[in-house]
Amino acid sequence: MGSLAAIVALAVGAAGYLGLGFANVGADAKPPIWEAVLMNSSVHASVRREAPKVQNSGVATDEILIAGGKLYLNDCVGCHGAPGKPASAFGATFYPPAPQFFLIGTQYSEAQVFWVAKHGIRRTGMFPEGRYYTDTELWTLSAFVTRSATLSPIVMKGMQQPPE
Amino acid sequence: MIAALACGSVGYLRLGLAEVRADMNTPTWEGQLVKFAVQASVRRNAAELHNPPPPTDENLIAGGKLYLGGCAGCHGKPGKPPDNLPGYLSPRQFFQAGTQYSEPELFWIVKHGIRNTGMSAYGPFYSDQQIWTLAAFVKRVNNLPPTLLEGIRAKR
Repeated sequence: MGSLAAIVALAVGAAGYLGLGFANVGADAKPPIWEAVLMNSSVHASVRREAPKVQNSGVATDEILIAGGKLYLNDCVGCHGAPGKPASAFGATFYPPAPQFFLIGTQYSEAQVFWVAKHGIRRTGMFPEGRYYTDTELWTLSAFVTRSATLSPIVMKGMQQPPE
Repeated sequence: MIAALACGSVGYLRLGLAEVRADMNTPTWEGQLVKFAVQASVRRNAAELHNPPPPTDENLIAGGKLYLGGCAGCHGKPGKPPDNLPGYLSPRQFFQAGTQYSEPELFWIVKHGIRNTGMSAYGPFYSDQQIWTLAAFVKRVNNLPPTLLEGIRAKR
């Protein structure tokens, strides 16, 4: 009986808190550390479970990295930052903020980056790009993103070239 | 018992059992609960905001130009079919669905964003005056005379 009363009290309290508008929904704040750690670890655990177990079979040639880099400059750079530039001011206005790959890299494997790019992450601004890109294209993108800290000058130059 | 609930939740999350993909529809209960809490919070926060500027043609055109530049990519363009995106990122299509929010509430949302959605905060990029014109435009988005819509598309 005591447990049941506690659950009912918790539910009523939670509904009252939300219904009276006490939950802060503004995005222009930094997530508290506990929330960031809990969210990041839960999302990474889920992606680890879901991402394909097989790695991309293709070797990350300069050609593949340049193709991925071009996609990145087309669609990701606005939120996730550009090589050699300071953090994206736009990416910082999301809650949680968009990770800046050229400043902090990524802990995600190539297959995990592929999965995230394809399916998106709910309750963030990360959009499912599978609607717009083929798997092959998304593999080049994930090859590029996982190597964002160690790109050769050839790739950096090649990705900036306009399409012929 | 609360400790057991907390341990169970953390275990569930750490084992990666929580679905995080965004390309499927939001369950109805989750959508309703989030809407309930977000609307209540916005109402509370926007209550002290007043003095929206008068909805003159000049202000509405200024707001419409901001809309086309900063919002249309996700929230839809006038005279175009809606972009029906899957559940978790399905921004309101204003030209089909309108909005239930008041002008001060729209002002607050644009300025501060909504956390845990794709709605980012535009306060760092636009002045309050600009955001008010945008709110005036969005509030009236389905009641605009055609001449005004043409004014929005015209280059300055």
